[in-house]
Amino acid sequence: MTERHVVLITGASGGIGQGIARSCASAGWTVWIAARREAEGKAVAAEVDSLGGRGRFIACEASNPESVEAAIQVAVATDGRLDGAVLNATSDLSPRPVVFEDVPIADLVEHFGVSVRGLFALAQSVHPHLRATKGSLVVLTSEAGFEGKARLSPYAGVKAAQRGMVRSLAREWGSNGIRVNCVAPLAATPAMARAFEMDPAMADRLLGRNPLGRLGDAETDIGPVVRFLLSPDSRYLTGNTLMADGGSCPIA
Amino acid sequence: METTALPLSASTVMIATDLPALSRLAASLDATFVALPPAAFATPIDNDWSFGSALETWRADAGLAAPSTRVVVAAWTPQHAAGRLIDIDAATFAARAELPFVAWFVALGNAVRRCADDGAIVAIIERPSPLDCAGWAPEGGVADAVEAFVRSLSRAEGHRGVRVNAVTTPHRLIPDALVAPSPPLANYPGTLELEVASAVSALLGPAVGGVTGTVVHVDCGRSWR
Repeated sequence: MTERHVVLITGASGGIGQGIARSCASAGWTVWIAARREAEGKAVAAEVDSLGGRGRFIACEASNPESVEAAIQVAVATDGRLDGAVLNATSDLSPRPVVFEDVPIADLVEHFGVSVRGLFALAQSVHPHLRATKGSLVVLTSEAGFEGKARLSPYAGVKAAQRGMVRSLAREWGSNGIRVNCVAPLAATPAMARAFEMDPAMADRLLGRNPLGRLGDAETDIGPVVRFLLSPDSRYLTGNTLMADGGSCPIA
Repeated sequence: METTALPLSASTVMIATDLPALSRLAASLDATFVALPPAAFATPIDNDWSFGSALETWRADAGLAAPSTRVVVAAWTPQHAAGRLIDIDAATFAARAELPFVAWFVALGNAVRRCADDGAIVAIIERPSPLDCAGWAPEGGVADAVEAFVRSLSRAEGHRGVRVNAVTTPHRLIPDALVAPSPPLANYPGTLELEVASAVSALLGPAVGGVTGTVVHVDCGRSWR
């Protein structure tokens, strides 16, 4: 069994997941890049190696319970342990503007599958392994889940659903020594860039209310927050949502 | 809207699952009951969301109804026993999370089409209180999702004067033994016909014309945010 801290991140072949992977790498951790896109995922794994961690890629479809279970089994069989897991994957439909009453059921299936069924699948697969290490599960949610979005309602709904499930999981797993938390990031990512393309007024709306006046950086602004929740430094923190959004969404 | 050519309905409309408790609640609100399609809840749950087709067809017909200034929504699904998330199978998760998620989405979409300009929509959400939410992860997830839908709609419909709010109740989501301390009010959890109906009526009324995107927890003080 490796002595390194071992974590697995879904959807880590780019964007925020990549930033989290790089941040964990700088702590010397073993980081599993669990993603659909093999070439991009292997590239991120190589970045982890170059930053002092140990990067590994495993193909994973986050909405498919069998695929998630297989990925976890490979990680544990290889490294002998799992200290943390991150549900970061989100649907490619996330930034697409919609009219609430016209959203096709098929689109709901897609949103729900990745974000909510994906959480169900990951939670079931990682529980015995996180119990063994008294580890941590982190879910990437969004400010949209707090405040709603006029034109991104399915995305807001699934992100809120994740928080509701995490609230219960924290209570169900506390006696096992497992912590479960959310992070609501706001960062410059390819997905955010697509959202700005689809809704040009969105950038002004987002930055106009942000006290820090900028989008976050996936590696240096978001990654350390997630790494903190994955590490023993946050051992007394569970059932929470940390807003890594520059103060954009004032919930306190 | 397409529906503005129709005469305005003077009554409150309640779009809900055909459950006895919700029928009684509709009566308390003096509301016209509009049932969600029973076929959606009779269909076996599967990963293809075949139950969604009945709901999608039903939603498409909604624009033919007369508009109302007051619309209540309660897309509750059949009750399930509490159980840890790691102990339930995929079919049970689908029944407890996926079906209600899409049922709520479709029912709220129907409500938007039925609601006249300057009207009000109120969603009645079953939500486990945070202290008592162990065993109710799917239901807690759905409840938070519906709160986000309500806030999304309050933003989308505000331009035509439509207010969208929600009340929550732990109604069927109460554990055998509550986590200490006890709720502040002795009438916990309250009843649909009295406490919930009163809060819904208040949110539907003109006295709260500046309130939208708000969630009121009608659980006798069990939730504080």
